[in-house]
This record gives sequence, structure tokens and C-alpha cells, in this order.
Amino acid sequence: MKNKKFILFPLLAFVLSSCLFDSDDDGLSSWLSDQGMPSSYKVETLTVSDLKPTSVELRKDTLPRTAWAGGVFGANAGLSHDIVFDFALDESFLANLKVADSAKSLLFLYLQDSYYKFDYLPSHVLPIKEDVKLNVSWKISEKLNYAEYNALATLSDSAWFDELGSWKTNKKADTTISISITKKDSLLTLNLPNALVNDVRKNTGNRRLQLRLSAPEASHVFRVYGGSSSIYFPRFRMVAMENDTTFSYATYVPTRMASIVSNHEECSDCLVLHGGVSDSLLLEFSAKPIMKALSDFYGDEFPYSKDDGFDVRQAVVMAQMIFLKDDAKGESELDWPIGVKVCSFADSADTVVRRVEKYLLANTDSLDKGYPNMVFFGDDSLKLQVTAGIRDFINRAHDGRSFKMTMNLDRAYLIKGDSAYYKYDYARYDFSTIKSKPATLKLWLVSKRDGQVSKENVREEE
Amino acid sequence: MKKFISALLCVSSFSFASMIGLEALGQEQIAGGSAAMAGRGFAGNAKTGDAEGVSVVNPARQAFDSKVVLNLNFLLDVSSADHKNSHFTQTAISMPSMNLSFPMGDFGTFGVSLWQHYSASMREDFENVELNQKAEIEYQSSVYELVPTYAIRLPFFRPISIGASAHFVMGSFSRNLTLGPDNSKIDSADAWATIDTDVSDYVSGDWEIKNHPAYYTFAAQYRGRMASYFFSFTTPYTLKNELEQNFRFSELDTLAPTHFTREVRVPAMLATGVNYRFNKRHNVMADVAWRAWKKNIDNAAGSWDLSKVTKTQNDFSVSLGYQHDGSDIFYDSYWDRITYRAGAWFKNWYIEDVSELGGSIGAGFPLGRKGTMLDLSIQGGVRLTDDDRNWSESFIGIRLGLLGVGSWGKTRGQ
Repeated sequence: MKNKKFILFPLLAFVLSSCLFDSDDDGLSSWLSDQGMPSSYKVETLTVSDLKPTSVELRKDTLPRTAWAGGVFGANAGLSHDIVFDFALDESFLANLKVADSAKSLLFLYLQDSYYKFDYLPSHVLPIKEDVKLNVSWKISEKLNYAEYNALATLSDSAWFDELGSWKTNKKADTTISISITKKDSLLTLNLPNALVNDVRKNTGNRRLQLRLSAPEASHVFRVYGGSSSIYFPRFRMVAMENDTTFSYATYVPTRMASIVSNHEECSDCLVLHGGVSDSLLLEFSAKPIMKALSDFYGDEFPYSKDDGFDVRQAVVMAQMIFLKDDAKGESELDWPIGVKVCSFADSADTVVRRVEKYLLANTDSLDKGYPNMVFFGDDSLKLQVTAGIRDFINRAHDGRSFKMTMNLDRAYLIKGDSAYYKYDYARYDFSTIKSKPATLKLWLVSKRDGQVSKENVREEE
Repeated sequence: MKKFISALLCVSSFSFASMIGLEALGQEQIAGGSAAMAGRGFAGNAKTGDAEGVSVVNPARQAFDSKVVLNLNFLLDVSSADHKNSHFTQTAISMPSMNLSFPMGDFGTFGVSLWQHYSASMREDFENVELNQKAEIEYQSSVYELVPTYAIRLPFFRPISIGASAHFVMGSFSRNLTLGPDNSKIDSADAWATIDTDVSDYVSGDWEIKNHPAYYTFAAQYRGRMASYFFSFTTPYTLKNELEQNFRFSELDTLAPTHFTREVRVPAMLATGVNYRFNKRHNVMADVAWRAWKKNIDNAAGSWDLSKVTKTQNDFSVSLGYQHDGSDIFYDSYWDRITYRAGAWFKNWYIEDVSELGGSIGAGFPLGRKGTMLDLSIQGGVRLTDDDRNWSESFIGIRLGLLGVGSWGKTRGQ
């Protein structure tokens, strides 16, 4: 009986609503308008020009980072990149090495196919032929017992990076290697200086060897596979020579790898960001001109100060911060457009978090028209979307906060031939004009004020 | 049992269908919305019997009950709003009340009711691409009351009983207007920025009574051989609705809300009624209830052109009903055991210029021999309004009531 009733209800609902009543198409919309409810939100744009940042801070990225998935060494565009390997050397081969007549060491590095063998790599990149001056430095640990030796495999990256931040050693040697890369090459063989292997030979027992390569005078960066590759991981080989014809060797695989960046920019006032690393600019804008523009636009008080002060009278659907740019002030390896990544700050659970701004595509026909948030592309303006940041800023402006955002160079993309390409371009770009040339903030607004929202706004679309 | 409870919760989360007063309290469910009462035009709070059960208007009545009654009510309501040749229809299923009364002989009768006293509910989608219109409107407001009642017959004047109930109020209000963009005022080159950016104007908050745990109803009932009367008084109270309002871009992406509190001062209610029984099983009955509203009701509003207040008026309801009691002798014919009801009511809403005129017929079908019953009533009528904001409505509804009767503590033959 109970089941029947539950079937009965919807059935009756259907019969009643279809036979006795019907709705006409615009019934709901005219009901809505009689209630004073909108049937859509009116989008309005507001342009706030002449914004100058009250402070600009350049944050240079020089922290060690993992190179396990792939690393670079070499130098270009004002940066040099060192690569550091961590090896665990076992006592058995060191014993052989100690008694050998002579010894040598080699490092095999595999070039990243996805870059060097990429079909659409610009033709000026390859071939590379360069004599690279290589500085090799290293640290050898004290003798390790079996437990310590095993623990090398599980040492955390972050602990190691902390140590690398203050790398000091007097064990170093220079050498010059010839590097020649064509599209067919996939392996770099580096003959390491004899000082290294001779220093290693002095030791017995299990040891840890940390090996750092730097080439600050190189004119290229070299992309190599990291230890995570199942086939193309780096290999360090030491060879013990008994005489000219008899030898034995051992090959070591790194337990971890790191890259360390050094910034060689000379101009201390310049706002130079580098691609491939996390250099960033922190910009801060005063609230005043933005609040004044909103106040002129709506004829209301800004910032909102009633009740608990959170402003929900309107919301930002889209916000664009527009800077002038000059692509001549940049230098890029690949000549491909590079996106600028923007983060903004938002209050979240009683703390302030920095969030990456989502990027809404302005058009889908990207190859021809590009995106307005790229350098090395398009006209002289750089349009960065700061929707979430501005939204949060206007919502909470009652506490007198300023608007803050960060920007950094993202990866290169938008290339002809491969729409999925998304790789680091070790580039540099000078954003110093941000300090001198005013920026423009463009807002797309939705308001829930009564009536027709805007007085005609004189500032709009100047 | 689990399935049954989840079905109940599911049904009770729906609400009544009227589109009037959505921003205020919404539609009031008279007399607990019981299917049996609805069948006789919501009259008959003065009618006593073995198993009449809880009355939220007249808590004294249940003192005359002798059987434990569990009563569940369901409502299917179809309302059609009309205005200047435009109309649209809403259908809703709800569960206005659940009642349990428990007679304890000389110790009086205890009862409890869960009553959805007011409800505003609407959920409509609307899109017109040519006119740049896209909106989803959702109102969900319920003022629930948990009403424990107690009634007892006077020791020496047995035809008279007194009763009282406390109404513990709970509930919530939410309004969600999700809107699509209208780019007609901006340059077409700027329109890309509003792709997939629906924005919700969202308001929500809880209902409670200000400064008090509950409001109260006191009643006295007289049961005569032919005529029965009751009189009840319900205390005034202030409903408090603490609202937070924000814009939502998605569930997780919202503005920091702003808060405000609205207070609804509900006036005292006086109610009285009479039931006259003749020829054993025929009853005619009439009820009147009256409240004098002094203050307008603040709307949730806070946005667009929605009005900020709902104006109130003195609300009263007048109900007239007839009931032919079914025979309680199991061996009589089934048709004779059915209870027949009919009634009509006029109600001036608490909202200015809104009145309701309705009529109903109903029947109670006995199930089995223990007095278990299925009440069915069909109601229809109009809600008339005088202003442009509120449209007049015609409505039709079906109510189902399940009435379970038990006799606790009685031995065979008693």
C-alpha cells in the first residue's frame, strides 16, 4: 500500500500539472521582473588608468632544486646553472682503485630527446659546437659504516638542498670539454679531471661522493636526463688501470641530483625575470585610485564600511592588469612566446595565501592571435588576469589593504606544429618599465545594486 | 525502516508551492496541515474523539483521546500564478507535519508534533539566448516547529480540559539566484571575459526565536454531549533570521560574506472553534483564528530590485466544515465505515492584500480493524492579491494522511 502511494503522488503531479495548468514561456521571466529579480547580470566594464606600483620587489630564485627528472648545466641569459650529483661509493671497488697503477673517471649524461630531437626546434638551436670550460668540485665523506652507507639512499632532498645552499669545498679542478650536439646526438661524455679520481683513490671503505659541475662561461644550457629516467639516467664511471691493457671499472648511478642557479645580472635596479627558474616580481598597488574609480562609477562609498565591512554589493567577473612591455628588452633561447604567470594574494582561513590566477582564454584561435599575457609576442601591452586577487581585494578593502600580485615567466608554448608543447625557455626579460610607465586596471563588474546600476561613467573606455 | 525514514526526510525537504511571500516567511500551513483537518476546510479543532490526536492550535483537545495516535501528513500542491495573461505553475510535494499523541489516562495526554509552519520554496531555471537571459532561482525556506503538548481534563469538571504547548522553532532560509551574463552594455570585443561565468547571489541563514527557547500556546476545551468549544491563546514571539550574503562563483569560490539579521515580530494569536454533533455521526464545525500584525517583515533582499520589506496585515482565518464520522463497527459495510468530510475556508494572509479562498472534500478510509486510517483530501482555491509583485494564484492540492492508532496499557475487554 505504501509503495502504491509513492507511485500515486508523482503520477497525480504529472496529470494535474499537464492537464489542469500549463505555463506559458515568458511567465517566469515576467514574474521575475515583477519581483525585481534580474534574469541575467549586466556586465559593465570599468577602466582605472594611471596606476603606479607603490613598491616593486624582485625576488631572485637561487635555491637549489631537484634535477631528478631532468637537469641543466651551462649558462645563458644572465644565469648559470650548476648540476650536482650525489653518489654512494662502495668499498670493494675503492680497494681496487687504490692499488691500481692509474685511474680515470668519466661522466655520461644523456641529452633530453624531447628537446634536442623535437621536430619543431628552431633551426638556429642546433648544431651546438662549443668548448666549455668546466669547473668540477667535489666532496668525499668520512668512512661510512654499513648502516650509514645504506642511509644515503633515503636521505631527503630538502635536507640535502639545505647543505647545498652553503657548498664549500677546496677540492676542485678545471677542465675544458668539447661539446658537439647535432640532431643525431644523444650522449655527452665528460672526461673528468684526474684530480677527482686521484682524490677518490686515496680513500678506502664506503664513501659518499658529491660532485658538482659548473660552466658559468658557457654560452648554452645543456638539458640532460635525470636519475628518474629508466634508461637514460646519468652514469659516473671510474676506471682502474693495472697496466696499459688490463683495467676494471665500476659505474655509479646518482642517488639524487640537484640544480643550482646563479644570477649574474649586473644592473641592481633592473627588474629582470628569468625563464626556467622561479624569479618573481612582487608588485603592490595602493587601494586609493582603485577605490576612487569604483566610487565614481557607482556613486557609492568605497571601501564599504558598513556592517562587518565585507563588500558584496558587486563582484568582479574579470580583471586585467595591463602593463606596457618592450620585447626588445628580452633575450630568449628559442624565440618562442613565453607566458607570464600571475599569482595574487587572498585571505583564506585567517591566513593569506598566494594563489595562481586562473587564465581564461581570450580567444581559441591562439596561434595567430596569441594570448595577451605573453612576452615575445604581440603588441606592446601585457595583459595579466588578476580576477581572483582583485575580487578578494575589493571584497575586503575595508581594512585598508593594498593590492598585491606577483608575476614570473612561465614556460614557452604556443608554437606552430605542436599545440601541446610546454617547456622551459631559459630566457631573460627586463620589466623595468613597470616602475616608470603606469599600468591600467580593467574590470568587468557585476553589481546587485537596485535599479539600473551605473551612472554613465566618464572613466569608462577612455 | 531505514528506507521509510529516508523517504520521509526526502519528502519533507520539499515544500509548499505558493510563490507569494518567498522573501518573507512564505506560505503558512494552517492547523498543522493535517489531511483530516484539510478535508473539512481546516475546521474542527474543537472536535473530540477517541483518536483525534494533536492539534497545534488547540492543545487541550487531546485530553479526551483514549488511543495513541501517530499521524503523518503529505501534501501534493500545484499552484499556478497568473498576472496579465502570463502564468506559470509550480508543483511541490511536502510533509507538513508528523504528530504523535499518547494518552495516559488520568495523567493527561502527552503529544508531540513536528510541524513545518511556514515554507517558501521555488526552483526554476530560465534561459533565453536571444535576450541574454539566463537565471536559476532557488528559494528554500522552512520554519519548523517541534511542539510538545500536554493536556489534562479537570478533576471535577470532567467535560473541561486545559492544555499547553511549547513551540521550539528551527529552520533555515536560503535564496540562490544564479545568473548568466548580459553583455549588451559592453563592447563586443570585451565579451570573451564572461564566458562560463555564472554568478550566484547567495543568501542563507537559520531561523530561531529571539531571546527565548520557544513560544507557547494555552488552550481550554469544553466537550458537551452535542456541542464542543475551545479557546486558545498563542504568545507573540520574534523570529530571528541571521543571514549571510555573498556572491558565489562556484561552491568553493565565494566572496567573504556580509552578515545581517532580520527580525520578524509575529503577533499573538487568538483562536476559537465549535463543533456541533447531531444524529450521532454528523458534525458541523467552525473555527476562527486571528492575529494582529503590527510590524512589516524585513525581506532577505539586499540585492537587485527586490523589495526590502513585505507589508503585513491582520491575518485571520475562518473555516467551516462538515464531517460524517465513519462507523467504528468493523462488521458494518466498508462504505459505512468511511469518514466523509467537506469544508471551506477564507484566510487573510499575513501579507498585505493577499487572501485565500479555498474548499475541500475528504474521506478517511479505515485500514484493518484497529482504527488505522488513510485520510485523503482534495483541496482547491485561489489566492488573491492586489499588487504587481505578488501574482494571484489558483491552487489544487491533494493531501494524504496516515493515521496509526494503538491502545497501550489496556487489557483485553477493557
